[in-house]
Amino acid sequence: MRIIFCGVGAIGSQAAVLCRNLEATLVFIDFDRVESKNLLAQAYVKPSVGKNKAEALKLQFLNLHGVKTESFGVRVTRDNVEALCGGADLLVDCFDNQDSRVLLSDFARRAGKPLLHGAVSADGTFGLVRWDERFTPDAEDTAGQATCEGGAHLPLLGLLAATLARSVQDFAKHGSRRDALVNLSSVIPTAGA
Amino acid sequence: MATLNITYDGMSSDVPVELDHPVTDDDVRRIATELVRSGGVPGMHRARLQADAFRYFVVDRFRGPRGEERIYLRPKVPFGAR
Repeated sequence: MRIIFCGVGAIGSQAAVLCRNLEATLVFIDFDRVESKNLLAQAYVKPSVGKNKAEALKLQFLNLHGVKTESFGVRVTRDNVEALCGGADLLVDCFDNQDSRVLLSDFARRAGKPLLHGAVSADGTFGLVRWDERFTPDAEDTAGQATCEGGAHLPLLGLLAATLARSVQDFAKHGSRRDALVNLSSVIPTAGA
Repeated sequence: MATLNITYDGMSSDVPVELDHPVTDDDVRRIATELVRSGGVPGMHRARLQADAFRYFVVDRFRGPRGEERIYLRPKVPFGAR
């Protein structure tokens, strides 16, 4: 099984770590580089700083046992989405912006690929895990609205990453597709197939 | 009878609501505001909650396993942030 994590920042890097027990090849895609501030909430360590995130995560997985990984340090665009994601058995959307999420969703629907989205609210108090068949982008409150900056909300991010990883694992083992609403007082499964 | 789940300020709670007709998303936001103000939502009493506290919140609607209506009022996630 080939599971592709699109975006390996606060959500994607932590969810990927929690999927390391799967019999799968974990693929990381991210064009961004690791900054010192990222070490607060993302699964990176000091030697990662300055490296491409996808490549850095792949290097860190070498410290774990028997996990197969690949990395692509590029931005996903309409021109390369087929080449990057065409071989996926499962796509996991952990991007931090709507344009990339919609691009990935369009591709997944066109190609018939299963796609799972994970995202948090701007204030870091709430998160959502949702399969693409029930995915509708939330409109911005105001133009250019900030996304969650991460480090201050690590417990919620960890809970969301764990819930996302659980949905990935359930899909890998049973083919089920369960959504969830996540906050610090509860994780509420909301749908499944 | 429907169940309204409200997520606000890091808390989440279920509250049963009697709905004798279909309600709009704005109705849900108004109902939730009154419930939270009145202390009708377990663990979430805010007597001075602003009238527009849920203005930008999203209303999700699902059917439970026995066909019951479940309505979720939740903050937005940056699926929509550009």
